[in-house]
Amino acid sequence: MVMDMYVRLSQMHEGETGIVVDIHGGPGARQKLMGMGITPGTRIMVIKSGRPGPYIIAIGNMRLALGRGIAEKILIRRGA
Amino acid sequence: MGSFTQGLKVIALAGNPNVGKTTIFNALTGLRQHVGNWPGVTVEKKEGIMEYKGEEFLVVDLPGTYSLTAHAVDELVARNFILEGNADVIVDVVDASCLMRNLFLTMEILEMGVKNVVIALNKIDIAKKKGARFDIKKMEKVLGIPVIPTNAKSGQGLDELRRVIKAAAEGKIVGNPISPVYDEPIEREIEHVSKVLEGTPLVEKYNVRWLAIKLLTRDQEVIKLILRYLGQTKMDEILQHISEVEEYYKRSLDIVIANQKYEFIDKLMHQFVTHFGEVRETLSDQLDKILTHPVYGIISLLAVFYALFKFVFTLGTPIQEWLGGVFDALGSSIAPHIGDEMLRGLIVDGMIGGVGAVLSFFPLVFLLFIAMAILEDSGYMARAATVMERIMRKFGLPGKSFIPMVLAFGCNVPAVMATRTLDNERDRILTMLINPLVPCSARMVVITFLAGAFFSAHQALVAVGIYAISILLALLSALFLGKFLIKGEESPFVIELPDYLVPAWKSVIIHSWERSKEFLRKAGTVILAGAIAIWYLSNYPAPIGGGLSYAEKLGEAVEPFTKLMGLDWRAAVSLIFGIIAKENVIATYGIIYGVGESEVALATLMKNAMTPLQAFVLGLVTTLYLPCIATIGAIRAEGGNKWAAVAVIYNLALSSIVGILVYNIGLLLGL
Repeated sequence: MVMDMYVRLSQMHEGETGIVVDIHGGPGARQKLMGMGITPGTRIMVIKSGRPGPYIIAIGNMRLALGRGIAEKILIRRGA
Repeated sequence: MGSFTQGLKVIALAGNPNVGKTTIFNALTGLRQHVGNWPGVTVEKKEGIMEYKGEEFLVVDLPGTYSLTAHAVDELVARNFILEGNADVIVDVVDASCLMRNLFLTMEILEMGVKNVVIALNKIDIAKKKGARFDIKKMEKVLGIPVIPTNAKSGQGLDELRRVIKAAAEGKIVGNPISPVYDEPIEREIEHVSKVLEGTPLVEKYNVRWLAIKLLTRDQEVIKLILRYLGQTKMDEILQHISEVEEYYKRSLDIVIANQKYEFIDKLMHQFVTHFGEVRETLSDQLDKILTHPVYGIISLLAVFYALFKFVFTLGTPIQEWLGGVFDALGSSIAPHIGDEMLRGLIVDGMIGGVGAVLSFFPLVFLLFIAMAILEDSGYMARAATVMERIMRKFGLPGKSFIPMVLAFGCNVPAVMATRTLDNERDRILTMLINPLVPCSARMVVITFLAGAFFSAHQALVAVGIYAISILLALLSALFLGKFLIKGEESPFVIELPDYLVPAWKSVIIHSWERSKEFLRKAGTVILAGAIAIWYLSNYPAPIGGGLSYAEKLGEAVEPFTKLMGLDWRAAVSLIFGIIAKENVIATYGIIYGVGESEVALATLMKNAMTPLQAFVLGLVTTLYLPCIATIGAIRAEGGNKWAAVAVIYNLALSSIVGILVYNIGLLLGL
């Protein structure tokens, strides 16, 4: 199923990669993420999943730490 | 920076956080700089003079931001500075090792229609190590502006940067910058909005395309601005039109535009930089997993902060005491030479004492800033913020606000100054308001004396109890003030984990020195005025001790109120003197009872006059009431008069309520 390919960032595991498909949440949070380089089309890799503690993702050479709340608002197409 | 900067050409530094912007600023200006705040906000403003080939330029360091939206004060400050055309040249400091994201801000700047932009392509050494190859000539051609590769830490490229800045400021280099192009539906809408705006006076002051693009993203500030010229009907029409485009993309246009901007940047980058290698886990990632872990991370955090605390207070306190001694000695050596008694008191006790008090905080504040700059520069600060996030967030605070809270156990003054490193204005103000509730070492003196004198069997328990109550109140106050007093949304938690780096030492020291000078300038006046006022109250019309001084009169006047918490005029007077420095509360009792500094005698006398319950309330109220004047001065320096006043009123109200409650509940329990 196509739907299986889409997950929230918060559901991803360490070492998995994917492409950002959409960002939910208010304009403040959304625009902050976009300024930091997370926008639809961005390729990410999960360095550390949030259980326990924060999520760490890699975008190119950059590393971002995110809380669970915001990780739930980022929709990813898995495995791309 | 004063009138001598007038007429100088203005160079603005823009860029993302963690790109080495401060290091470049320090390298360009050296010691000729000034740290302050942007008007009306708690955002740090740094200015300095750059000299090149006999000519001087004013360099303004804009806040480090990822974009230029209206959602954060820092971004608005940077954006308005550029928008108002205050800069003759904008130097955009770009991290070469993280080019894509950095060019996003570059595009936001270029989109504003400014021409005189110069890129400092910093950390070029790190980017090369990571495998990137740049064609600088091509990059300049593609972007239409000068690009100078730099390594701010080693100084490489900075001379060339100075040369290009000068040439650009003199109009010898004029850029022809590229600006992002969007999909057809977006471009059509930009054109549509631009046409409407072209009939307004906005054209004279702003770039119409930029206004149109920002309107499409529903930027609140731009909507407000345009509304003034177009009126509600016309605006509704445009917004309706925008909704239709959003319908087409099935998304808000801010996402669509950001997305297309990145795609645009990606296409450009292909022309001048070879791709970075594949993403893979590095040693630094392994370290991050430990340092942000809820258990190991907190253990490492405690170790780091123990070291920081030790560094600041073990090194700073002896210097502080030595400076205090120097001023005491200076006072006593000058005293015999002043005949007039009033003048002598004013100079020796009021002024020299006051200046001594101000200066004695300088070493602590300076060392604190050095420690903070090392934490920031090394990259550890971001990890500390990450690991504390979950705990602090429960009280509506970001993880980083843990740092000022810990420092407060030593002294609230450097702790309040440390709020400067928080990223968001709401968080900065909230953290500085609750900071005085964390007991500093001066209050520990009072708490342990009272606990020892009145509760010898349970001294530790009582002392810990007072600490626990005040920390709990600080956290609850954060929740309360965050909900009702301070506007602004809680920032969502996302933070960049920058590469671990060895700090640029020279930059660390220059930066800390300038920040500490700012403390002296701003907090100094409050501390000095406070010292003189207290000296006057305690010496006129007759010295304290005989019941005639204004201080004692004031104590008697407020006694009806303090009686509600079981405290007499002696306590009231002591608390007044505690405003100078909290350890004065006990010293003042000594003066009133005429036993000087003999703690044993004082303990006996106080025990005869007070019940243990009253002593407990005194300890608690001493901890919670007005911050000492140095702390008030620090809050004023960081947050301005308004928040200093709020801190004073809030602490006074809170301590009164808690004091009255605890005393009366205690009475009911038969204590």
